[in-house]
Amino acid sequence: MDFLSDFLAKFGAQLQSPTLGFLIGGIVIAALGSELAIPDAIYKFIVFMLLIKVGLTGGMAIRNASLGEMLLPALFAMVTGIVIVLITRYTLAKLPGIKVVDAVATGGLFGAVSGSTMVAGITVLEGQGIEYEAWAGALYPFMDIPALVTAIVIASIYTSKQKRDKYLKNEKYIGKEDYLGMQPVAAGGAPIDQPVPTGGYPTNDLRSSAGGYSGESGGSTGGYASGSGGIPSSRVKIWPIVKESIQGSALSALLLGLALGILTRPESVYESFYDPLFRGLLSILMLIMGMEAWARVNELRQVAQWYALYAFVAPFLHGFIAFGLGMIAHYATGFSPGGVALLAVIAASSSDISGPPTLRAGIPSANPSAYIGASTAIGTPVAIALCIPLFVGFAQALTGG
Amino acid sequence: MAKSAKKLVLITEKLLLKKIAQIIDEAGATGYTVLETGGKGSRNVRSSGQPSVSDTESNIKFEVLTENRDMAEKIADRVAVEFFSDYAGIAYICDAEVLYAHTFCGPDGC
Repeated sequence: MDFLSDFLAKFGAQLQSPTLGFLIGGIVIAALGSELAIPDAIYKFIVFMLLIKVGLTGGMAIRNASLGEMLLPALFAMVTGIVIVLITRYTLAKLPGIKVVDAVATGGLFGAVSGSTMVAGITVLEGQGIEYEAWAGALYPFMDIPALVTAIVIASIYTSKQKRDKYLKNEKYIGKEDYLGMQPVAAGGAPIDQPVPTGGYPTNDLRSSAGGYSGESGGSTGGYASGSGGIPSSRVKIWPIVKESIQGSALSALLLGLALGILTRPESVYESFYDPLFRGLLSILMLIMGMEAWARVNELRQVAQWYALYAFVAPFLHGFIAFGLGMIAHYATGFSPGGVALLAVIAASSSDISGPPTLRAGIPSANPSAYIGASTAIGTPVAIALCIPLFVGFAQALTGG
Repeated sequence: MAKSAKKLVLITEKLLLKKIAQIIDEAGATGYTVLETGGKGSRNVRSSGQPSVSDTESNIKFEVLTENRDMAEKIADRVAVEFFSDYAGIAYICDAEVLYAHTFCGPDGC
């Protein structure tokens, strides 16, 4: 019972942290229709500042740490990223009224990592004085990239299989109806000469047929075939996805920070500039995340309610999976409880910066309102407001006991 | 002397900037202008000025001057077939009269 009451007291204290206060503040003023707007450029700059600071901290720690310690947590981070997508594929995607590509994209986004959530988690850990490995922030790409790659590969296999099924169905019709025979041309990836008349016309036409593709009936054949014209080859290339993730603003900043921390001596700028500004900038970021969460709620309303349920449950489930794996590393190689908590927070988070554009490009047929709405409107607030206190509380209870 | 030309306008998602720029280049256009933009369409209001957490909400507008309708249609068709079923987008052609342009009209002027 001591364990439980101790845990609940600490959980309650977490709810009053400035991180969470600013997040809720952002949601409230957005809900009240405030005109307050924080420019895009500032948002991007804050993300850069926070992640380069995390990178520098990690880089300076790696310089003094043995790489062997990192192996098991990094492996577990990769496993978690892949498992999250697979779980989504076999739970959310099976629910009624859910399109498989939408569900897989949602899984990819929830498997990928949010820099802001991770940074909020680090701040809470530091505020509570819990020891954690400074290189734990470097686990970010190990979970982020495998999750995005897995999601895009699964979605591509699924869509190309559907395309093949439709194509075979089309073949039967060719003898009877000439015009249906035109459609597979687009699917084959030779789009230039497709007989679409003038500039203004195809927009509406393709839009309406794209809507039809959700239907399972043969009537939507044409819409689906032209919809898949964007991915000419059925095989997915994994390297471009990895490259795109690394080139994204979040991972670039983190990796640059890591490299500078390992290779140079950034202590003077770190202590005078990056470290002192860290918490203040985080509070502004949380305000933006809160406002964004409210703005996306409307989008989420337009998709199936299952997404809301998934977005609420998934951060806990993913966090517990990573926490369990982290505990194995704790007993096997002495991974600290703070590090275990941070791994769980990374797993609970869902990407908000680099993930959405990567998925939008990698799975074009998925509806962005579904996955971005689920992640930004519910997933991120739940991860920051509930999962961080929960897992930090667990870590504290572990060290305290 | 003004040289008559066609102006092709493509408004779509910022995510496609590089891919569409490549299509325009491959079609042989001498250049293009890109603007950050926003508005309302079949996919509701986009780029309404709120801070956006990721760039998936941002829109761009391409303006391409082409000598003839064929090239403009070729670009528009290819972009429409490749992207417009999955991404927000609209394409239209206007008549234009080019008064001065270095590459488009040649060094001696239009």
